[in-house]
Amino acid sequence: MSEDSKAVMKYVPTTCPYCGVGCGLNLVVSDGKVVGVAPWQRNPINEGKLCPKGLTCWEFIHSPDRLTKPLIKKNGKFEEASWDEALDLIASKFKETYEKYGPKSLGFQVSCRTPNEECYIMQKFARVAFKTNNVDNCARICHGPSVAGLSLSFGSGAATNPFEDVLNSDFLLIWGSNAVEAHPLVGRRIAQAKLKGIPIMVVDPRFSPTARLADHWIQFNPSTHIALINSMMYWIIKEDLHDKKFIETRTKGFEDLKKTVENYADVEQITGVPTETVKEMARKYASAENAVIIYCLGITELTTGTDNVRSLGNLSMLCGNIGRPGTGVNPLRGQNNVQGACDMGAYPNVYSGYQKCEVDDIRKKMEDLWGVTDLPPWYGSTLTEQINECGDPIKAMYIFALNPVVSYPDSNHVKRQLEKLDFLVVHDIFPTETTQYADVILPGACFAEKDGTFTSGERRINRIRKAVEPPGDAKEDWQVFVELAKRLGLEGFDFNSPEDIWNDVRRVTPSMAGISYARMEKPESVHWPCPTEEHPGTPILHREKFSSADGLGAFFGIEYRPPAEVADAEYPFTLMTGRLIFHYHTRTQTGRAKVLDYEVPEGYVQINVEDAKRLGIKDGEKIKLRSRRGESIPVARVTNEVAPGVLMMTMHFPNGANALTNTALDPLSKMPELKHCAVAVEKIVGAQ
Amino acid sequence: MSLSGATPGYQKGDLVYAWTTNEDIARSAECGGAVTGLQKFALESGMVDAVLAVKRGSDIYDAIPVVITDPADLAQTAGSLHCGTLLLAKLIKKYLGGTKDRKIGVTVKGCDTMGLLELARRGEINLDNVVMIGVNCGGSVSPLTARKMIREKFEVDPDAVHKEEIDKGQFIIEYDGGHKGISMDDLEDEGYGRRSNCRRCLYKIPRQADLACGNWGVIGDKAGKATFIEVCSDKGARLLSDAVAAGAIATEPANPKGVEIRGKVEGAMEKLGQKWRNRDFTALKEDLWGTIERETSRCIKCYSCIEQCPVCFTDPDQFEKNSPMIRRGGLPVDGMFHLRRFAHISDSCINCGQCEELCPMEIPLALFSHAIRNEADLVFEPKLGRASYTN
Repeated sequence: MSEDSKAVMKYVPTTCPYCGVGCGLNLVVSDGKVVGVAPWQRNPINEGKLCPKGLTCWEFIHSPDRLTKPLIKKNGKFEEASWDEALDLIASKFKETYEKYGPKSLGFQVSCRTPNEECYIMQKFARVAFKTNNVDNCARICHGPSVAGLSLSFGSGAATNPFEDVLNSDFLLIWGSNAVEAHPLVGRRIAQAKLKGIPIMVVDPRFSPTARLADHWIQFNPSTHIALINSMMYWIIKEDLHDKKFIETRTKGFEDLKKTVENYADVEQITGVPTETVKEMARKYASAENAVIIYCLGITELTTGTDNVRSLGNLSMLCGNIGRPGTGVNPLRGQNNVQGACDMGAYPNVYSGYQKCEVDDIRKKMEDLWGVTDLPPWYGSTLTEQINECGDPIKAMYIFALNPVVSYPDSNHVKRQLEKLDFLVVHDIFPTETTQYADVILPGACFAEKDGTFTSGERRINRIRKAVEPPGDAKEDWQVFVELAKRLGLEGFDFNSPEDIWNDVRRVTPSMAGISYARMEKPESVHWPCPTEEHPGTPILHREKFSSADGLGAFFGIEYRPPAEVADAEYPFTLMTGRLIFHYHTRTQTGRAKVLDYEVPEGYVQINVEDAKRLGIKDGEKIKLRSRRGESIPVARVTNEVAPGVLMMTMHFPNGANALTNTALDPLSKMPELKHCAVAVEKIVGAQ
Repeated sequence: MSLSGATPGYQKGDLVYAWTTNEDIARSAECGGAVTGLQKFALESGMVDAVLAVKRGSDIYDAIPVVITDPADLAQTAGSLHCGTLLLAKLIKKYLGGTKDRKIGVTVKGCDTMGLLELARRGEINLDNVVMIGVNCGGSVSPLTARKMIREKFEVDPDAVHKEEIDKGQFIIEYDGGHKGISMDDLEDEGYGRRSNCRRCLYKIPRQADLACGNWGVIGDKAGKATFIEVCSDKGARLLSDAVAAGAIATEPANPKGVEIRGKVEGAMEKLGQKWRNRDFTALKEDLWGTIERETSRCIKCYSCIEQCPVCFTDPDQFEKNSPMIRRGGLPVDGMFHLRRFAHISDSCINCGQCEELCPMEIPLALFSHAIRNEADLVFEPKLGRASYTN
């Protein structure tokens, strides 16, 4: 290291820490500090190209605001502590709570920002040490419905085709995804498709930057997806455009679907889309030889999230658009490792590789492999359920690299609930709006300070590489769990490196057994499933048969249901939320990059020109939004990008969108309805 | 350093064949290894404190810049990588303090050379502290394009290829079990081949470097075993003279027939470059404003084109200021975001292609700025005076 620490302009190839596209980049290191990001042209995912976040992802690394020492709250104030002191306290408090109140009294919240190795070791720690399945990750509030819905439809909860594969398609149907902003290097693939002349249809209530790329933009009423998709399917069947051979040989449940969609010939009242337009949508999708569906949180973050996803599954199978290049149903995963956190079993009902806890044989296998007994079969509490259970029955919680006070729905509720815990550990790289609720704060290492892997939204497992040391006393996070395991006398945690942990993942996870660190040295790396070292990996799923037990894809007849809370006389506006290209989640990192902070220093809400005129609101003035749960004062952006009666608010800012959002849950995936709630708009008298 | 009386004193304008006497370098290098041998000599003799060169990363398609201070490490930079699409010039400003306080030897292609000259004209680097060992360049191929081309047109697994080169108008690969070459013209007509800025480039032999090295014109028994060197400056003459005097490099006069052949290759490459210029620029002429407006409307404001450009440096206080014409935080971007950059670099765009290659939205930015400079050079006196290079 001494030689290395003096090196000048050393390039360390790694993976971007932001969205789930998994772009490669080089961190440039001089004298032991990261001094810049340089393009990595050889990387197949992005060919050196980066978005504004990727290009500036190095700027927060050496921020003076970083947490550098463990902190323990004493008499209401945080005091610096040694690692021994902090870890001893955590081990004893969790042990005490477990012994007194049992496995359901503990909650473990895993971040999708952290590498696979850390997601895996944390869930293993929770399950082995405390026999609890109360472990979940923040996919719960982005693509939980994708995992649930695609599993039900296809037998695997992941994207079916790689990003670049859109260039092999004949038609792109992009639904509830603003990829240009939220997943910019997938946005590039869409732009390439356009340049290649492939027709693009974007279905979105908003004229987003992605909609601007489209040949056809379909505006519809927020959250009426199922009605619109059912109507498309009605017309596809009616006009005999469905793929009968595919339906017959590869699927089940078609009659159920057919019967359900009978009632959806005309959905203009619900969706706002004229029937002639729906027919056009149906014909365009169904007549393309290979058509791909790309979707995102516009589909998932609703109480009908899982059903929305299954509806897209229905549509794709109806036209046989699965299992070939240029086809598929692809959720764009939001965080760098949201795919991986789920894959690693940081989930309340599955171990790594989606092996179900409730199945006796699997549990027995895991007990043998981990050398433990009594792993629990029950479905643990999900992320936001754990928040609801704070105080009863959850007494102690470990939050790893999450900022629930800003990112979960109904911030006021989250704050009230966290106060009810006896003991809270928050493990992060910066002080956040959430750390102040902790009893112990642990200083973490960021993506540049440790080795590991992130799994991108195309199931490709990409390496991250340590470029510099963590600041101050901060540790590589996986070491914290090794240390805690040692204090609790656990076996099976004697890991000396992230690669050691990864090899443990391979040992217990058949779908990833063939993917070694050595294979990941190649920039192409490997897409799981990959059961053996000789297996080439699986860029395209469901080629010959579906991943389900019987090998068939499942149609579901699904009825449209309105959102949990709709606009009414008291709260007459529909509020949608979204990610900006310039920020990432709660901005703990992007807020510290100069250019990003310059571009968008504060939260805003888009409001239609007519509404603004009626309420006397000018572009750029601050306005008050109220919902049944709270209020927020964002800047108004007056625009025709949203329809009258509809608002779109940035999700990144404290006291912002989540002061207003609804906690109502999708019954199948427990996704809160982050993208739809009712609000009132007030002009602030005298506001500029 | 001083020239000892017994050694040949090379002069600007001399044309020689040269090769390294170091066996390690000779083994890993191409064409006699003179470039690596000269860099090693410069480092060992103290003429430079560090060498900036390019080494192979994960495979032959992965070019990584590296700063070397230990001469023993130089062998890893031997050999050429035609899939290296890097621009080294701006790295010297960004990460090496602009050579204000250390002497650097750098291996430069034409675009690197032009980039360094433009940086020097702006006082961003001190050329007195730079030794530029130029290499002829017929253009480079982006790594993923190369892999795709090898898979689809050569029908060879790109991972099986252990060597690629561009020679006599062909892209040639050597792989386990054979070698194959296809005419660059054919490849490019089908959308493969070199980056579009490289196709338009006319600066093939970097005569504004200190030495211009290459394999064009090396014939007879030295073919493939020596490097053709044109001495382009007094500094270059001194380096070569001292290296020969110290026994690090051996030379012989260039074969006159070889000199002629080199001239022909250069001429042919320039002609090809002109062909591409005519093709690209006249196509752009048809709907100039419409094309610029349409293409730049995809911009996502990543700032890469500014960040990577060798002639764009931003005001450190830029993010304290509000522009009356460019809205903060909005997409699509306001037109002035690109217009102001085109204006800023109008008489200095070197057509290095970085802005375009690294644009996440596939905007042909280099085409626009290269076309603007090309036209401007026809009629205006540039702000910073005429450049010493022509492209």
